[in-house]
Amino acid sequence: MDSAIFFNQLFAGLSTASILLMIAAGLAIIYGSMGVINLAHGEFVMLGAYATWALQTFFGLGMLISLPLVFVAIGAVGWLIEKGIVSRLYNRPLDTILATWGVGIVLQQAITLGIGSQSRFVQRPEIFDGNLFFGDLVISNYRLFILGVSLGMLLVTYLLLTRTEFGTKLRAVIQNREISECYGIRAERVYGLTFAYGAALAGIAGALVTPLISTTPTMGTTLVVDAFLVVIVGGVGSLVGTALASGLIGEASAMLSMIFNDTTGRILLLVAIILLIRFRPTGLIPQTVRG
Amino acid sequence: MLEARNLYSYYGKSVVLQDLNFDLEPGSMLAVLGRNGVGKTTLLRTIMGLTDRTKGDLFFSGEPLGDRRTDERAMMGIGYVPQGREVVPRFTVAENLKMGTFARKDGKRAIPDKVFDLFPILKEFSERRGGDLSGGQQQQLAIGRALAMNPKMLLLDEPTEGIQPNIVQEIEEVIQTLNVEHGLTIVLVEQNIDFARRACDRFLVMDKGQVVVSGRGEDLNDEIANKHLTF
Repeated sequence: MDSAIFFNQLFAGLSTASILLMIAAGLAIIYGSMGVINLAHGEFVMLGAYATWALQTFFGLGMLISLPLVFVAIGAVGWLIEKGIVSRLYNRPLDTILATWGVGIVLQQAITLGIGSQSRFVQRPEIFDGNLFFGDLVISNYRLFILGVSLGMLLVTYLLLTRTEFGTKLRAVIQNREISECYGIRAERVYGLTFAYGAALAGIAGALVTPLISTTPTMGTTLVVDAFLVVIVGGVGSLVGTALASGLIGEASAMLSMIFNDTTGRILLLVAIILLIRFRPTGLIPQTVRG
Repeated sequence: MLEARNLYSYYGKSVVLQDLNFDLEPGSMLAVLGRNGVGKTTLLRTIMGLTDRTKGDLFFSGEPLGDRRTDERAMMGIGYVPQGREVVPRFTVAENLKMGTFARKDGKRAIPDKVFDLFPILKEFSERRGGDLSGGQQQQLAIGRALAMNPKMLLLDEPTEGIQPNIVQEIEEVIQTLNVEHGLTIVLVEQNIDFARRACDRFLVMDKGQVVVSGRGEDLNDEIANKHLTF
């Protein structure tokens, strides 16, 4: 096999992985902190993509300026959905799955009705046009940028959870909600902000992915399935596990698709994950609970 | 400081506290006594707003508590040391103490010196995880966590239950010090009648969710103990 193709595919896998990482980190944080399996998560990605498209089309804003706006906007959407729907269902986990699924359908249809189902395209930032060449290896600047943003967001998330007062409060609520409230922590607010943060991460992923894939109302569905696989493989409650699993799944799907084809690659990937879960049901890096 | 008038408390549809009336003067200590399952813990949980529903009136520093959320009650200065201590297991001792400061109105996050003066071991063990401490150490941490918020009133739920004897005495001394020297108002749920008699200004004995006897600490005699507290 040509080594150039191999390395190019390796890098493509890495940039897929970095998008996956941001989507999966949001999912994992929401599930890990409030036990909610958020089936509307893919729609947050989709909304992030459409928000970027709208800012570019109607306001002429480039992607770099749009990113923080998208972060805030999709975070706000997530916050409203948590306050309006999810917060009423915390004691009924099965119902949250149905409810968030319903929210996802509503969001998809709203976009289809309002904007239409045809594909939309977003221009990538001009400063990231072009490629870096290392011999035969071609690295797109834009994909490199995505990788950077994704790792940056991972670091920010880690610091948010471990170094800030909000993070301490969140970790307290996760371990013992009642006693946290007895020490002045407003658990409902912590939950709302956490859900919003997870949604905002998905929104950013959606914004970043727009120049690479076409923006359609159903784009979130495919992406979120892979993100769920990442969370399952990585183990709940571990950012390191999520990062590791994103890398593995991004690379595995890139490599398997190259060696076989997209469909066979997909099947093999799923088989591999099923086997992994058979032998490590709690994922690669499960949360170790003490005391 | 704390006043209950015809207070009822419910879990779902079942009533667990019935028609409670009591007053607690600032700086005093109230012992809540009774057999297992008579509603002592529920009384403390009701004060913190952790039961499903209440009826009647409960005032803290003259303000009605009825509609307040648990976190608001904490911010008003009620420190709660629950049964079983409920130290956060994956938090270090330092993080558990810091958590106490989240209920401070002044927004300060420094642990008051008195916490370490009373429990020097918490300084020594500050990087250990809460879940790795012994029962007695966890109890000291749980009390330290409540003191970190500079409470106006402290609720203690059987602070010496299931704890090695040498630490029991230490904890009892700390409770008396807090009450007598620091002037802290305390509600103490206790099984140890001798300690209650020694330390408390007033007591109330509960049975089936009601107060059956109450009085001054020194009036807690063997007759009351035999009638309501022995098995």
